[in-house]
Amino acid sequence: MPTTPESDLYELIQAAVDPAALVRHVRAGQDGAIVTFDGFVRNESHGRATKYLEYEAYEPMALAKMREIGAQIHERYAIHRVAMVHRLGRMDIGETSVFIAVSAPHRAAAFDACRFAIDTLKRTVPIWKKEYFQDGAIWAEGKIPPTAPKTKPAS
Amino acid sequence: MPSVSPSVRVKVLFFGRVRELTGLTEENGEISEGATLGDLLERYIQRYPQLAGFRASLVASRNQEFAAWDTRIAGGDEIAFLPPVSGG
Repeated sequence: MPTTPESDLYELIQAAVDPAALVRHVRAGQDGAIVTFDGFVRNESHGRATKYLEYEAYEPMALAKMREIGAQIHERYAIHRVAMVHRLGRMDIGETSVFIAVSAPHRAAAFDACRFAIDTLKRTVPIWKKEYFQDGAIWAEGKIPPTAPKTKPAS
Repeated sequence: MPSVSPSVRVKVLFFGRVRELTGLTEENGEISEGATLGDLLERYIQRYPQLAGFRASLVASRNQEFAAWDTRIAGGDEIAFLPPVSGG
């Protein structure tokens, strides 16, 4: 099990995401930069007007995978703190579904780590999105996760 | 001596499209000792033929870790057949 610092935050929540609180969570005196990713519900998908989305997760596995991503970015980049939150349930247009904040002494590491985190989350975390339109609903196309874990320490 | 091969109990979880197609969220099942994740999926496809078209897009997890289809199942395992992920 990869470890992440106690001061990081990884959560699956039902209530609205509070970006300001997450930014405060990662901000510390030793840092000089925070990069955030705010993923929110778009009003269309492939040209069809979206009404709302519903997200579901394999919750314990999703949380474990989010922590795994956190451990990876701590290992790869000179960052300080990570806050990574995904909301589940129904979300309307404009509502935040995922928010990631990364703090670091210098900006480059924070940019790179935040980008890596959201890209990896979209490929490997077991969360599913159903898109509701005026005339029906579909499961979003999605990505097939790699089945061999990338970094498995031989223990 | 019983002639049937010994079986193991597993918990199987269903999400997203797989949950909708089967109408199941979770069930306890039994499968012969030595069976693989692929064997278990085949059994569900027999029960729910509507899954067959999605076989190539599914990945398996065993005890909350992605696992290859030839992984052998052990008693008490928690298994899921996961559709392509679309979080974010």
